[in-house]
This record gives sequence, structure tokens and C-alpha cells, in this order.
Amino acid sequence: MTTVLLRQVLQIFETAAGPLTLAEVARLLDIEEGILEGMLEYWVRKGRLRKVTPYSRICSVCGEAKTCPFLLNLPARYELITDDEPDLSIEPPCLKK
Amino acid sequence: MAKHYTIALAGNPNAGKSTIFNALTGAHQHVGNWPGKTVEKKEGTAHIGGHDVVVVDLPGAYSLTAYSAEEAISRDFIVHQHPDAVVAVVDATNLERNLYMVVQMIETGAPVVLALNMIDLAEAQGIRIDRKALSTGLGGIPVVPTAARQGTGMDALRRAILQVSSTAPNHRGSPAWIDYGPEVEAAIKTLETLIRQRPALREAYPPRWLAIKLLEGDADILALPDVVQDQALLEALDEAAGRIKAAAGEDPETLIVDRRYAFISDLVRRTVSRPSVEAITLSERIDSVLTNRWLGVPIFLLMMWTVFQMVANVSAPLLDWVDGVISGPITHWVVALLRLVGLGGTWVESLMVNGIISGVGSMLVFIPVLVILFLAIALLEDTGYMARAAFVMDRFMHLVGLHGKSFLPLLVGFGCNVPAIYATRTLESEADRRLTAFLSTFMSCGARLPVYVIFGSAFFGAAAGNLVFAMYMVGIGVAILTGFLLRRTVFRNKPTPPFMMELPPYRLPTLKGIWLHIWERTAKFVEGVTTTILLMSVIIWVLLAIPVRGGTFDTVPPGDSLFGELSRVLSPIFAPAGFGQWQATGALVSGVVAKEVVVTTLSQVYVGTAHAPIPEALPPLREDLADIVRSAGEALILTGQEIVNIVPRTVNILPGVQMPEAHFLGEEGESEDSTALESALRRSFTPLSAVAFNVFVLLYIPCVSTVAAMRQEFGPRWTFFQAGYSLLVAWIVAVTIYQGGLLLGLG
Repeated sequence: MTTVLLRQVLQIFETAAGPLTLAEVARLLDIEEGILEGMLEYWVRKGRLRKVTPYSRICSVCGEAKTCPFLLNLPARYELITDDEPDLSIEPPCLKK
Repeated sequence: MAKHYTIALAGNPNAGKSTIFNALTGAHQHVGNWPGKTVEKKEGTAHIGGHDVVVVDLPGAYSLTAYSAEEAISRDFIVHQHPDAVVAVVDATNLERNLYMVVQMIETGAPVVLALNMIDLAEAQGIRIDRKALSTGLGGIPVVPTAARQGTGMDALRRAILQVSSTAPNHRGSPAWIDYGPEVEAAIKTLETLIRQRPALREAYPPRWLAIKLLEGDADILALPDVVQDQALLEALDEAAGRIKAAAGEDPETLIVDRRYAFISDLVRRTVSRPSVEAITLSERIDSVLTNRWLGVPIFLLMMWTVFQMVANVSAPLLDWVDGVISGPITHWVVALLRLVGLGGTWVESLMVNGIISGVGSMLVFIPVLVILFLAIALLEDTGYMARAAFVMDRFMHLVGLHGKSFLPLLVGFGCNVPAIYATRTLESEADRRLTAFLSTFMSCGARLPVYVIFGSAFFGAAAGNLVFAMYMVGIGVAILTGFLLRRTVFRNKPTPPFMMELPPYRLPTLKGIWLHIWERTAKFVEGVTTTILLMSVIIWVLLAIPVRGGTFDTVPPGDSLFGELSRVLSPIFAPAGFGQWQATGALVSGVVAKEVVVTTLSQVYVGTAHAPIPEALPPLREDLADIVRSAGEALILTGQEIVNIVPRTVNILPGVQMPEAHFLGEEGESEDSTALESALRRSFTPLSAVAFNVFVLLYIPCVSTVAAMRQEFGPRWTFFQAGYSLLVAWIVAVTIYQGGLLLGLG
């Protein structure tokens, strides 16, 4: 069976403790970030990974969070989409505007 | 003989396509929309080598897979319009990312010219690209280095376009230069054979490209009528996909995409070289100081100290100015208006002046304070320093069993505790989330700032910034101690997962970005003042107007009002902390709604009902307006003076150093201007009891919004525990400060 680099990318996330940045995965696979970025986007499109900006689940429309780059300035991270997702269905008030 | 050619510019966003388009077409361009799409279509004309060339600027896209409207437009144009040349514009500094689309363009069989744009930047970064090898690797297409912004390489690009356009091969052929592996290649061959047997498909699409797209499961291609209705082709596709899956263990699309990336990876390894040891960037040089093991924390503390100097002292002249405008001209105008409609001297006038203007106005005066706080925070954030603050604090966070990542929600808490609690969702561990949210309520939010500023100005004058700074530090200190305690009790045996932090590069903040920060946050504050604070002002005014020990509505002394009576019940609890007066108790109780209400209540209790009666003869409008302008000018001069004085005040921290401070208006020109509330506070508190009161405000139960957020995230038990704990800690710390101060003779 062929060694598929794309599969290895996914496996990194399967064994990781949490979200990883592009640079972290690139270091682990010894691959150029420019190439890896496209690969990660492929898995995002396929619904296997999710791009997590620190506020992606919360407060994205709230005035304060929109302009709150405490976390937005940090590099975006990617995480595996799993079946046992935490229940974050309750909407914080800042999303109820 | 002059010919007519059509060429397309395609590439990733931000690769410099538009710059090349402008350089080729000059002013000869027009903008419209692609048929049936809202995507902008730019088209222009150029004369190259005596030939007329129509240049179409395709929308920026990352691939030709048709996942977005931009990708679909680019692909359809290249495949169906058969341009005489496609100029693939790539960013030479990020060739790896850009090549995926180039590979797909070449697979369509289109005559491609590769413009290696921004080559100057790539070379400046030490990136070397072997253009000849790159051209060979990409099937022999011309590779032209350009720096379109500088106009470099544009003549060579024009020559390459002309050469490719005039010798364009038949578009039906598709170079088979990517080997997709035995399983996929066999399937491509089978499907290609079937496509070649179907004239409608064969005429419209390059057969190999179409076969690859079918195997990739391209939704647009699978929806083509000639495909949907072709049962034999679909069965062959299913069968081929099944065989690939069985043999390679992956679906065809993943294998195809993987092979493309493997091809690009190999090509880049052979043709692109980067400096073996990356030069130390400016960001790294700055970080070697700002995140230094020994210097990091002192620098962080110095930054925070400077911020609070700015907040408390630089904003003071503007605060006094706004206060003067509200209590002077604005109050005059409201009273004049009320008299005009026959409501002068009634309870409505009292409600407006002593309730609403006193309550809401007492908060609006803090707009300059908050604007300066938000400006300072925006500067720290936008430069990238805030992320460093989290990094620097990582060591301290480990003391409480958390890591630097937990410091980020805590930093958010300096703005408002509510988003800080929601920001804990970014933490993986539930124990970390609960603990961080618990601690975030001790971070001094913007709503508590007015309390420190008013007490700081009343009792400490120019050293008000020190009180503000001390309050923030006390909050952090109590959070650390609480975390230490909880880690060893409630959260023992719950280890924190390892954490690696990546710092973003430093950058220069933009004026627009800074303005957005200030505007959004200040607007939110004003929104809160004109809703919650307005309502609370009315409620407190009503409670202060209801007599319980004689007197009549609205004329009762505050101590004999319902508010005074209710506050008096609880006030003995606070006597050991030095603020057992009923006015302070009432302010603390109403402050549970929102911490700003503490100031509003103090203002109504101390100033509102004791407000000097409005004189019968109000000053003329012209005099009021002149007063506003004159006092604004003075306030601006004094603001400049306070900015300059940050340096001596900072240097003067050092023992034995006494650098003189600037006095732009002369020392005698600076009136000992203090608001009515500050004067009232000086009569009711001592400096020691004022500090104890501020500490209590900092630490006691967070506002109802924060409690609601905590309950929503962690349930009622955790919320009650937090509220009870913070109330107890606030009382203990306030009493300790007051009693300790008395013992030391500071009372």
C-alpha cells in the first residue's frame, strides 16, 4: 500500500492532545508550510479537520471579541473533528445579538 | 500582420495578479461582473509586439477544484474559453503554496506562462529558485521572474506571453506529466478511453483532465448532463473507484491530491533553496529582550504600570473637563428646557438632575479614562505584545497548575469578565476551564476602573496611577493564591496537558485597527451606561426619594430614605473594613448589578441629593459655550503635560531619584480641581478605608452578567461556590488591609 502523506497529516492530529498550528505539524512531518497549508485545507474541506481561531466558537459577533486580538493575533490552529465533540450548543449572550 | 490574442491571468490571492494586470493594460481596462456571479470581472487590452491582446484577470483562487465561485470561474474560463495563454502569477516567496493551482492549470492542457512574481522579496529573504529546473519540472513552460510593483521583468513576461500565444498547441492534448500511481493511472486510462469515444465530452474537455476530475468526484463535472445520463461511464467510474480503494486503501481523490502535493514537494526540493540557517528576525531580536527569563516579568510590570499611569493621570484633565461640561452647561440646558415646559422645581427636575444626570453623568465622565485604557491595550495587542505577556506569565501560571494559555482568558478579563469566561472554551481540559474561569473574576475589568480612578484622584492625587496599578496587581495576586489553593484541593490529581506556545511576529499597529478597538469598546461602554446604568440611576433615585423616617417624597434626607434604611441593615458587616457607613454599603449592594453602579450610587448618595440648588438665573448659552471651549483647551494642554510627566513619575520610583515634573500652565495655573464626588468621598473615607473599599470592590462577587455566564458554562454549584468564595476573600482582604493599616499607624 502506498504511503500517503495526506494520511500522515491526519494521523498527526489523531495522536495529538489538542489543536496544532501549521508550524507545529510542518515540524513534525518535516514538510514546507506552504505545501502543508493546502493539505490541511483539503482535510478541512473533507470535514475531517477544523480550523480553530481562538474565538471561532465564541463571541465572533460581539463588538468586544471582534476587535479583541488577545487571541486573534495568535496563529490559527487546526483540530480533528471527532464524534465525541464537547457540547457547546449553548450560545453565549454575545452571539444572541 | 497584427493578430488578436486573449490571455488570462490566474493565481492565488495576494500573488500580485492585479499589479501585473495593471502593468500590462495600463488605463485600458474595465470592470464588470462574471455572468450570473457577483464576482468582479476585470478585463483590459494591451498591445504586445504590435498585436492586440485582451487580458482577462481571473479571480484569485487556491485551486481549480471548483469549491468556490472564484475557482469555478477560473476553471471554466481556462477550460472552455481556450485563452491563447494563461499567465500563472505566483508569489515567489511562497512558491510551495502557489504551485498546486499551477499544476492544475497545466493539467487542463492550457498554454501556461509562469510569472515568478515578488522575486525581489524572495531574493531578499535568501530564497533561490532554479528557474530552468522549475520550467523542466513543469513540462517546459516558460518561467519568468517578475517584480511587478517595480516593473521588473515585465518586458520578458510580454515576450513569453507572445511566444506562447503565437505557438499555442492544440488545447485538446493534456500532458501526462504527473504519475498518479499504478492504481489511479489504470483507472484514468480506462476512463480516458471511454471519454474519447464520446464526441460531446471529447470536444468540450481534455480527456485525461476530465478522467482525473471524475475520479476526484468533482461535483460540477459529475453534474454535467453528458455525464449524468451516461450510465456506462458512471458504472466504469464506480468500478474504478472501488478498485482503487481496495488496492490502495484510500479513495481516489485523496490519492490524486496526495500525488500532486508529493510532486510539488519533490519539485520544490529540487528547485528552491532557502538559507540553511534562517536569519534571526527582528521579532526574535525583540523577543530576546521582552521574553527574557529575567527581564520579561519586570518589563511586563513596567508596561502595565505605564498603562495605568496613562489611564489615571493622562486622562484626568479630560475627565474633569467632561465632568464640568455635564454638571455645568448640560445640566443648565436640561433645567432650562424643563422650566420652558413648566416642570421647573418639580420632582421631574430632581429626577433628571439628581437621578439621571448625576447617575449617568457620573459614568460618562469616564469616557476619556476608558478611551486611554483601550488605546493602551490596543497598542499592546496590535504590536503582538499581549501574546508575549501570556508567554512571560507562563512560569507564574505553572505555580497554580495552569500554563500561559490560561493567562489569555485572564487577560481578556482585564476588559470584561464575561468574554473571559467564554474564552476558557479554548482550553482543552475541563479542570483548566473551571479553574481559569474562577480566577478570571479576580481580573480587574474596565467597569471597576472608575471606582479606582475616583478614589485615586480623591485621596492620592498625582499618585492615583499607583492605586490603579496596585489594584490590578492585587487581583492577579489573589488569582495566583486562589489557583494555588484550588490546585491542591478541588483540582488535585488533575494534571494539565503540555502546552507549546507559538508567538506571532511583532508588527506595526495601524491607525484603523487602533480606532476600531477604541470605538467598539467605548461604544459598548456607552451602550451599558445608557441602558443598565440609566435604569439603576432611576431605581436608586426612587429608593432615595421614598421616606421611611418622616419627610416627604423627594425631599427626604438620604439617610432617612428607604435606600438608607436598607443599606443600614448590612453596613455593620463592613465596619471592621473601615467603610461601615450606609452609603458605602448601599453602593456595594447596587454594584452587584454592574460594578460601574458603585460610582453611580456614590454619586447619587453623596452628590445627587446634596446637589447645590440650581440658581434661578442660568448663565446665557454663549457663556456656557465659551466655557466649554476654554476648559477644553486647558484640558488638552494639561493632558500633554501629564503625558510628559509619565517619564519623571516612572523614574522617581527609584529610591533617591527626584526628577522634576512639567507644569505647562504654571503650578499656580493648575487648580486643585476636584469633582463634587471626590470632595464628598474625602469627607467620608480615610485613605486607608478608601484602599480597603477599593480592594473589596475588586474582589467581591462579580457582576450579574459574569455570574450568569459562569452559571451557563459551569452550572449553579460552581457559580455559588465562586460567588461565596469571592465575597469571603474580599471581606477578609479588606479587613486585613484596614486593621493591619491601623496597627501600623496608617489610619
